Amino acid sequence: MATDRRAEVTWHGDLMSGSGRIDSVTSGAIGGLDVDWLARSEDAGSKTSPEELIAAAHASCFSMALSNGLAQAGHPADELKTSATVTFQAGEGITKIALTVTGKVPGMDDGAFQEAAETAKENCPVSKALAGVPDVSLTARLES
Amino acid sequence: MPRVQRSADVTWEGNVARGSGAISAATGAFDSLPYSLASRVEQPDGKTSPEELLAAAHAACYAMSLASELTGAGSPPEHLAVHATVTLGQVEDGSHRIVASELLARARVKEVDGQTLDRLAQSASEGCPFTKLIEASAQVTVNATLEGDTDGD
Repeated sequence: MATDRRAEVTWHGDLMSGSGRIDSVTSGAIGGLDVDWLARSEDAGSKTSPEELIAAAHASCFSMALSNGLAQAGHPADELKTSATVTFQAGEGITKIALTVTGKVPGMDDGAFQEAAETAKENCPVSKALAGVPDVSLTARLES
Repeated sequence: MPRVQRSADVTWEGNVARGSGAISAATGAFDSLPYSLASRVEQPDGKTSPEELLAAAHAACYAMSLASELTGAGSPPEHLAVHATVTLGQVEDGSHRIVASELLARARVKEVDGQTLDRLAQSASEGCPFTKLIEASAQVTVNATLEGDTDGD
């Protein structure tokens, strides 16, 4: 079964001095988010950007994949905390994504957690879609 | 050009089938957005998903790229409306894969004909760094129409 998710954006004016807005998405979960080039390429202020949305997509996809892997290994997670940082070089594109995860996983040893995290990083659908990023790093830590 | 970093944080509790997560942007532009397996592969029910966030990223990236192309051609747009639809499909082995991202743009712009817009719309996709990346997994399609035209979407 295929699932579609849609987003709508409007833009006014040129790239450098113009501005846009993410008006709505399928679920209605976000909307009315302003975007512009200055916020994307220099100081974000409180504005989102494509790279921040990609960071959010990757962190959320990775977390689901890891929770699935841990449950299949017989150690469902109590809690996973993931952050993703996307590095954007204007003119070059996305050059790096750094994933860090801290997990509360009863009964699991560190080696098995590292392995499950690496598998989630390789296999989650967003990782596969972002396979062209030159450097995707992962730091995984178990919390007792 | 400066190197910029953008971050987001996610917490997840429980397993995939019944667990749930929350997604926050470092800028604060959005905070604690709930998501779950059901919201991702079934009905969204008000909740976002990784693919919806990618659709928003692609639409925003593409809108900027198209504004840049039109400006470069001497016609900065008065107004662009971009819709991006990202499709998560199930592939032969049963795993999920992002298989498509469809971009639809409507442009209100002076002194640009449909043929020129088509050309610039393709260049804009090639110039959007996210298009280049997602093509590793997904087919990206672009359709652009001039606002006021009756053909197309």
